[in-house]
Amino acid sequence: MKRITIGGVGSVLLGDDGVGPTVIHALEANYSFEDCVTVLDLGTPGLDLVAYMSDADVLILIDSVASSSEGKLPGTITLYRREDILRHGPAPVRMDPHSPALSESILIADFACDSPKEILLVGITGEQYEMDSQLSPGVRQAVDRSVQEVLGELDRLGVSYSRKVQPDTSTAWWERATAPARSERLLRYAPGLVIAPCDADKTNAAYFANTPVE
Amino acid sequence: MAKRITIDPITRIEGHLRIDVEVDNNAVSNAWASCTMWRGIEKILRGRDPRDAWLFTQRFCGVCTTVHAMASVRSVEDALKLEVPLNAQYIRNLILIAHALHDHIVHFYQLSALDWVDVLQIPKADPAAASKLAESLSPWPRNSRNELKAAQDRVIAIASSSQLGIFANGYWGHPAMRLSPEVNLLAFSHYLQALEYQRKALQIVGILGSKTPHIQNLTVGGVANAIDLDSPSALGMDRLEMIRTLLEEVVQFVQQVYLVDVCAVAAMYPEWFKIGSGVRNYLAVPDLPLDSRGSAFDLPGGYIRNGELAGVRAFQTPSDAVFRQSVTEDVTHAYYQGDKPLQPWVGETDPAFTGWNGDQKYSWVKAPRFNGEPMQVGPLAQVLIGYAQGHELTRKYTDLAISKVAAIGGVRVTPDMLHSTLGRHAARAIRAGMLAELAQKHWQLLVDNIAKGDYTVHNQPVLPTHEVEGVGTHEAPRGTLSHWVVIKDEKIKNYQAVVPSTWNASPRDRSGAHGPYEASLLHTPLARPEEPLEVLRTVHSFDPCMACACHAFDPSGRQIARVKIL
Repeated sequence: MKRITIGGVGSVLLGDDGVGPTVIHALEANYSFEDCVTVLDLGTPGLDLVAYMSDADVLILIDSVASSSEGKLPGTITLYRREDILRHGPAPVRMDPHSPALSESILIADFACDSPKEILLVGITGEQYEMDSQLSPGVRQAVDRSVQEVLGELDRLGVSYSRKVQPDTSTAWWERATAPARSERLLRYAPGLVIAPCDADKTNAAYFANTPVE
Repeated sequence: MAKRITIDPITRIEGHLRIDVEVDNNAVSNAWASCTMWRGIEKILRGRDPRDAWLFTQRFCGVCTTVHAMASVRSVEDALKLEVPLNAQYIRNLILIAHALHDHIVHFYQLSALDWVDVLQIPKADPAAASKLAESLSPWPRNSRNELKAAQDRVIAIASSSQLGIFANGYWGHPAMRLSPEVNLLAFSHYLQALEYQRKALQIVGILGSKTPHIQNLTVGGVANAIDLDSPSALGMDRLEMIRTLLEEVVQFVQQVYLVDVCAVAAMYPEWFKIGSGVRNYLAVPDLPLDSRGSAFDLPGGYIRNGELAGVRAFQTPSDAVFRQSVTEDVTHAYYQGDKPLQPWVGETDPAFTGWNGDQKYSWVKAPRFNGEPMQVGPLAQVLIGYAQGHELTRKYTDLAISKVAAIGGVRVTPDMLHSTLGRHAARAIRAGMLAELAQKHWQLLVDNIAKGDYTVHNQPVLPTHEVEGVGTHEAPRGTLSHWVVIKDEKIKNYQAVVPSTWNASPRDRSGAHGPYEASLLHTPLARPEEPLEVLRTVHSFDPCMACACHAFDPSGRQIARVKIL
């Protein structure tokens, strides 16, 4: 069974850069996945990305793409495969501002012979990266389409998933202007280490606890 | 006539940093450090619930997430005068140590070793001789001829394919590279092994924090880890044992590999004990609390002025009045409005971008000052401050490192020589050795406390309506971090973070005093000014992390590092 990691990359505090984590939120709120799939809000992992790669046969990343780069409209979705990402070589090094992240992490993982065989980057053209925890309208509309791109990739890989009967309708915590203190709710659940992927306030199962290093 | 060299961005760091140096007779005669990204993240916190601030602050950066979460909950606890149960202190301490070990290992191997190690020399090495050398330095079991040969084969395969991958842009063959092929091979095989051990350290953070990056288990007043020895879903003996096993492996790597490698590199580049000192004022805060009030600590804090170890002053607690009253931020040379240094509780973050002008404003980093003076922060500050106070554990590992350098290279090192580029690397490894030992201590403290029947992990916070202020500190991998919060009507009224890299990367202040990066570069000799490897060595020795803000993946591959010579 292929191990698949789906990761949203980006800062939720910098406008459209938060689209990666927002797509992860939408995926977790609406779908259940097989055990071989790990869904992660990676934030801006820098070189830590290498640690998440070494577990995966297939890595699907969702990230914002600079608007100025190819003259595309905000919300445009472009798919990049491994060779597209590495086309410009081992950036010397910062080709992306999550750097050292994507290209460097792939190259380091390659070198350690620990790199996913397949990599897909779902890139969403962003519009503004100002200090703000909201997406611009064009990018907001791309969230559902990005979810479909990820699901399409899972279809291609022959991995099943199912739509939740009772989807979680709450917005991501960083988008709520005023909400009851989230940390208080976290405590009320007192979940210890078991954090349920289906609950927005307990996102991302205790990934490392379940995947020991050999 | 001085030449000006711009390196923008500095590579192999987190985030964007630009360095400008003037070079006269092949030595640096003037320097400017500027961060090219704006961070005004504090603005997003105003009006929010202070109990949630940590969730937002740990998104400042992808690399230092844990540290910003920790400093934030501590700032609110300080404002509310809220104690933290023992279990919560120990769990937090274990997370902090595991994160720091991960960070120090990655910094040395993945982010800076290639300033000293010439990958293209590796094919010439004799793996058997390298293995023999390694066995004379350390009992580490993974220095066998076969393991080293396998690492060498990977380099040969890549070198002969003309695709150098991650190593395509080094200053290979630079005259300042001087390790023997065998030492290059040894260091490089540890580069590969480091990837495994940093990940094990990260796993500990994940097990206790539920997730990494961005731990989920903090709460103002404690942690949200339920302790139940019998439940598989809570923190019980299974998970504690898992942590103990991982810790053992990481501790062994730090003490038998990382610390030894740093000493070996130091022994072979002894002239770098004389280069790169710069600002000799040092600042560190006490950390790893041992009681619920936060009055006793395993890591000492304080400050040193002008490199005078004998004059060290100690902070008893992180909320020491001297610390609280002495920190200001100056924006004379930073792209912000304002004309006088402000204490962080009344700090402002209103941008005023002008473009780079070395005589006026040239950086997005503010200039933090302690009693009006620039301070160097980081492992070197902590080690010197601990050493000067006679802190036992600091002395143990510092003396160990010094004797190791002497044994390998016949180089006599005195604590005074630590004011240098190599001193910063050595101090980071010394600190990692200390932290490795402390990790096992705090694991035992946690287990013993649970065994007593104490399962408490949290004290309930009560938010007052009147105005209160607090400061939360953490001695992070890159140095002293402080979060300053003002709370009114149960909401955040003001919030400022003074992060380690703003102390070190600070621009000049109103008096013209250089920040630590800038000062450390002055007088550095450059063998080839068009390939300023020596500048990178010193800047990397600080472990720069400017990733407090970021933009997006740029598929066009612009933003390539450029070295511009004017």
